[in-house]
Formats: sequence, C-alpha cells, structure tokens
Amino acid sequence: MFLILKYIAKLLKALSSEASPNQLAGGFVLGMIIGLTPVASMHNLLILILVIILKVNFGMVILSFLIFSGVAYLADPLFHNFGIWILELESMQATWTSMYDNELWAITKFYNTVVIGSFVSAVLLCIPMFPLTKISVVQYRKHIHEKLMKTKFAKALKGTKLYSIYQTVARVRG
Amino acid sequence: MRIKGIIFLVALTLLGFLISWISIDPIIESEIEYQASVANGALVEIEGLDIDLIDLKIRWDKLQVANPENTMTNTFETGEMELDFLFWPTWWERVIIEDIIFKDFKMDTERETDGYFEIPQDEKNAEPSFVAQVISDVTSEVSRNASMEFTNIKTNINVDSLMAKLDLQAPNKIDSLRKGLNQNYQKWDSTLANTDINKEIDSVEKTINSIDVKNIKDPKKAIAAIKNIQKLVKQVDSLKTRAGNLKKDFQDDFENSKFSVGRIDNWIQGDFQRAMNLAKLPTIDAGNIAQSLFGKNILADYSGYLEYIAIARKYGSRLAGDDKEKIERYEGKDYNFTDKYDWPKLWIQNIDLSGETKTAIQLAGQITNISSSQKKTKEPIKFNIGGKDDSNRKMNLTGEFNYLGEEPRETINFIYDGFGLKGSKISPSELLPYPLKTGTGEVSASVNIIDKRIDSEIGYKAKGIAFDFGEKPSKNRVQQLIRDAVSSTDQINVTALVDNLDGPLKIKVRSNIDELFVNALKSTVSREVYAARKKIETRVNQEIGDRKEQLLAFKNEKEAEIRKEYEKLENRVNEEIEKVEEKKKELEKKKKELEDSLKDKLRDKIGF
Repeated sequence: MFLILKYIAKLLKALSSEASPNQLAGGFVLGMIIGLTPVASMHNLLILILVIILKVNFGMVILSFLIFSGVAYLADPLFHNFGIWILELESMQATWTSMYDNELWAITKFYNTVVIGSFVSAVLLCIPMFPLTKISVVQYRKHIHEKLMKTKFAKALKGTKLYSIYQTVARVRG
Repeated sequence: MRIKGIIFLVALTLLGFLISWISIDPIIESEIEYQASVANGALVEIEGLDIDLIDLKIRWDKLQVANPENTMTNTFETGEMELDFLFWPTWWERVIIEDIIFKDFKMDTERETDGYFEIPQDEKNAEPSFVAQVISDVTSEVSRNASMEFTNIKTNINVDSLMAKLDLQAPNKIDSLRKGLNQNYQKWDSTLANTDINKEIDSVEKTINSIDVKNIKDPKKAIAAIKNIQKLVKQVDSLKTRAGNLKKDFQDDFENSKFSVGRIDNWIQGDFQRAMNLAKLPTIDAGNIAQSLFGKNILADYSGYLEYIAIARKYGSRLAGDDKEKIERYEGKDYNFTDKYDWPKLWIQNIDLSGETKTAIQLAGQITNISSSQKKTKEPIKFNIGGKDDSNRKMNLTGEFNYLGEEPRETINFIYDGFGLKGSKISPSELLPYPLKTGTGEVSASVNIIDKRIDSEIGYKAKGIAFDFGEKPSKNRVQQLIRDAVSSTDQINVTALVDNLDGPLKIKVRSNIDELFVNALKSTVSREVYAARKKIETRVNQEIGDRKEQLLAFKNEKEAEIRKEYEKLENRVNEEIEKVEEKKKELEKKKKELEDSLKDKLRDKIGF
C-alpha cells in the first residue's frame, strides 16, 4: 500500500513539474508495451532493462502497465487475430522462417500469434502515444494540476498519515 | 542514462549467477534422484553431481541404481560420468544430451545401505502391463512343474486325504453357473410374459374389430378407416421388429451361456491337474520332462530378459505423453515454420559404456537414442554391449526398442558363451542330480515382441560334458536307466519357445535328451503313474458327479421353454399382421364400391 501510495505521490509530483514531459511519455509507452504484451516474454526483459537504465518515470511505467494490462486482457483475441494475419503474410514467410531458424529470434516467441500481434500493436501505438502523452502532460500542468490539487481527493490524500510519512522519508532521503 | 540503474543491473546479474552456482546442483540432484527412483522402483543415488552451465556439462562421481527385487544389491553402478547437453533446447524445456560416457560400469554389485524406495501412491501404475502378465504366466508355468517327482512315484495314494486337501473348484463353479443361468432364464420368462407387445396386439385387435366394413356407407368414412388401418400396419410392423429384437437378445444371451457351459470341461480338467500336482504325479511325455529338467532355470532367465523390456516400456510410457499440445484460450497459437524445435522432452543421443560384469567379463558398448518420443527423434533405441575375459568367456547383448510405428516392437538378442560347468548341476530336477566333471556352457536368447504378440526362443547348450555319478550311485531303477542314457551324452541342447502367435501364450521346452528320459521312465514307472492317475481321475469325476449333465439338461429344457414362449408371441404378431392386411383389403374394396356407386348416381343425375 505504501509503495503504491509512494508512486502515486511521486507521479503527481512528477506530473506537476519535476520530470520532463519526455521522461513521462517514455515511461508511459514503455509501460504500455509491457502491459499489452505477455509479461513473461523475452522482449519485456529488454524493455525492463531500458526502464532501469533510461531516465524514464517509474511511476508512469507502473501506471501505464496497470492500465494496459487490463486492456490486454480484453484485447488478446484481437491480438491473436492480428498475429495470425501478420504470421500468414505471404511476403513475410521467408523472413519468418529464417528468424524461426535462428535461436536468438526464436526465444522471443515471435511466432506466437498473441506475442507478435500485441507487440506490433504496442509498437504502432507508441507512435501516437508518445507525442500525445507529452502534449497531455503540458496541458495537464497548464490547466488541470491546480484544479486537481484543490479537489477533495488530493486534499484527503495529502492529509493521510501515510502521505506525511512519505513526505518525511522523501525529505530525509533528499 | 541512469548510472544507478546500470549498477543495479550488473549487481543483479552477478547475484543471480552466484545464487544459481551455489544452490542449483543439490536441487537438481535430489530431483533427478527422486524421479529416477520412482521410475526404477528402488533408490537411485547420485554422488558429487556437478552442473557446469558455462561449458554445458554435467558430471558425477558415482551412480548407484538399486535392484527393486533385492534392495541390498544394485542392478548396476557406474563410476565417473560426464555428459554434454545442448544449450538452446533448454529454452524450450527440452534436454538433449549428445554424449554420455560411463566408466567403471558394474552389474549386480553389493550395497552398503538398503536401496528400498517407497513409491508414492499417485506414481504407481495401476494395471499390470502385457509384459508383466507374460512374466507372471511364465513364472507360474515354472512353479507348476517344480513339484513333479519322477523317481519316487507313490502307488498307494490316499485319495481321501488328497481330496480333502484339494478343495475342488469345479462343483462350486458349476453350481454358481447354474444359479446364474437360472436367473437369466427367469429374466427372459418375465420379459416374454410382461412384454408390451402382447398389450399392443390386444389393442390392435380391438381397433380392427371396431371397424365394421359392411356398415360404411360413405366413401369419406372409408378413406378415414383406411388411414386408420395404415397406422395399424405401421404399428404391427414395429411390433414385429420389437419381437425380432427380443429374439436376437435372448439368442445372444444363450450364445454366452453356451460359452460358459463350454468352460466346464476346463474346470474339471483344472481340478484333475491340481490333484495330480498335489500327488506329485507327472505326465510322462517329452515336453513335460524337458520342462521339469530345464524349465526352471531357462524360464527364470527368460523372465529376466522380459524384465528389461518391461522396464523399457514402463520408462517409455512415463517419459512420453508429456508433449501434448496445449491449447488454451488467449494463449495464442504457435506457428512452427520448420521442425527445428520439434525435440522430445528428453533425448540421450549416445551412451558409451565400459565396465565389467560380476563374473569379471570386461564390457564395452553403446546405447543410442534413448528418448521420450521416438516419433520426434525418428530413431529407435539401439544397444550393443559385449566383451570377453581372459578365459575366453564371451557375452554379447544387442537389441532394439522401436516405438516409431503404431505398435511397439522390441527385440533382444543375448549370447553368453564359454562359461565353465565343472562342478555345477545343469538341472535342478531330481531326474538329473549329478554334477558335471567337465563342460562349457552357452546361453542364447532371442526375444521379439510386437505389441502383444510375443515370439521368443532361449537356447542352452552344455558342450563337452561328462557327468560325475559319484562313487556309490543310487540303485533306484529309474536312476540307473537315466545314468545309462546320459553317460554316453557329451552335449545337451535345450530350447525353450515362448509365443502367443496362434492364440494364448504357449511355453514349450525341448531338449535332445527328453526321449532318453521318456524311454527310461516308460519302461519303469509309467504303469504306476497310469494307475495312480486313473484313481484320482475316477475320484475327481465322482466328486463332481453328474452336475455337468444336469446343468446341460436344465439349460436345454429352459431354453426350449423360452423359445416356445417366444414362438407364441411371434405367431400372435404374424396373425395380427394378416388380420390388418385383410381388413385393409376389405376397406379398399369397399371404398372402390362406394366410389363406383357414387359415380353411377352422378351419371344418372346428369343424364349420360
């Protein structure tokens, strides 16, 4: 509970002014890829490494992962059909076969309809989602943040004991 | 870039390697030991297991596989072993081992601790396999002949005390069969008496009688009556079919009874045979003598070879079946563009073996393509192990376990040649109690099994033999004749044939000295055996009495009664069919008359 609260508070803080819109948008799309594709896939290990070594916002990664995991649960049948279409593309057969015969590619399980369908969908979604998130962050800071901070929820959140503990810890850690 | 993130990743990787390096070996060792012990039915122990994930090697210092039949010994043990496995298949949860080298392979070694292993209930196989059933049949054949006495025939058999011990089974079985048949006949009596067919016939009869053709004056009424009668035609047709089905059912039932009754002679023969065994009275013919002389040893060896096949089939079925395709919703579908990853769960491509037998023969050989699915490897298990020692004793074992086709096929060929027979007895039978002064032996076996068809031959040769009759040989006449017969023999050839190619399992043992024994026994104890057999046969028949005849008479009488009842029913149905047809014809005639009369009236009115 404390960890979730910590990241929500951190995310709100980052959204307000601390992090750059690029870091937030980066976290959002990386979390989206992990959320939309089957978690235990080899490419998600690479995404996780990127999350750790790139300066993207963790809170945003987690928020995006939680949102898109739910979306993926409903969208898996669509990903499956999209995957069938991709894997059966006549022009791609030679490429798929040579990738399949290469163990390094094969361990990504690209030949699974849900893996390839969801991964390609997630990568395609990154193109609009990255700039959209950036714009949304800027717009949020301009128009929404102040209003949100005045809402009962934000006030209640600030008033909780856990939030004050978090503030104290954050101050001590610097 | 986050420097802290990179440091975290490096630390995490190092920690992962450290944990796996420290703890992976004991975990895998205990899991392998457990699974192998379950498969073996007794403890399998590995010492000093070392898994090298960088060089992809596994090695151990010692492996002991306890013998499930005698847990204080090992079926085999090996010294140092090293194997190489392939890296990529492990990503697909497959283990492919290219090469295993077993050094210091030893069979039948003593254990320091008990190798008993309690197989968990859920791991046990419920049903005995086909091979296990064959082993059991062969074993019971061995024990059947073990108690025969040829030289000490008891002529003054106390039949009363023999019968008291025997507990005849045939009378009870015949009585119980009679009870079962009676219940069955009662069922048919009741079925025929209470069948709905009779009620329906009554109802059809009533309907027919209610149609008064003479009083039908209107063609419309005639048509309605015809429609009604057509329904009755269908109804009686259906009654005929139902009666026919009843007939078929009871005839099938009677056929089954015929089969059961046919077994009565086997039951009586079984009782008689058991009485003979109890009195230790032999049947003096070549087959029985050969079996008594050599059956025990040769068939015990044979059961041993079959055990290996049983193990191969058991391991095969345990390893197989876990490669089923998983089809779960939303897990997607895998597209296999090539068959590159179509590996079995386990595949040991080659085992190089070296060691020695308990009798110090230096062994070397190869076992290839042990796998959980031969359909995937497209290769059967093959083995070829052999060797010899300084005194020219040779051993060779070759074979193939082929599960590529629809039917499993196993072939084993074994030869053990040149072993000394000096001082040993070649038969456990009292007929040939003499040890040998000289001689060498050769055992050969060939076992072929295709699914549930078995064809096998075991040969035993004692070459260059001379019997040691001792300084004061027995003066028993049978023994004397036997000594005379075998003293001029310098070679004994024994062949055992076990097959079920033409029906039930047949076990035949023959040797080149059977006839010598038959002649010796026929001229001495044959008459006594015949007299004693006759005594027992008469008494067994007396005890069973005329149960069989009574049962047959009862069966014929009851079945005739039931057939008679059925014929009554069938006649009623046929009569009813005739009545319905007759009524139909009458109605059609009446309809035509009415229509004609109507036409005439119409013509008169119009004035034609």
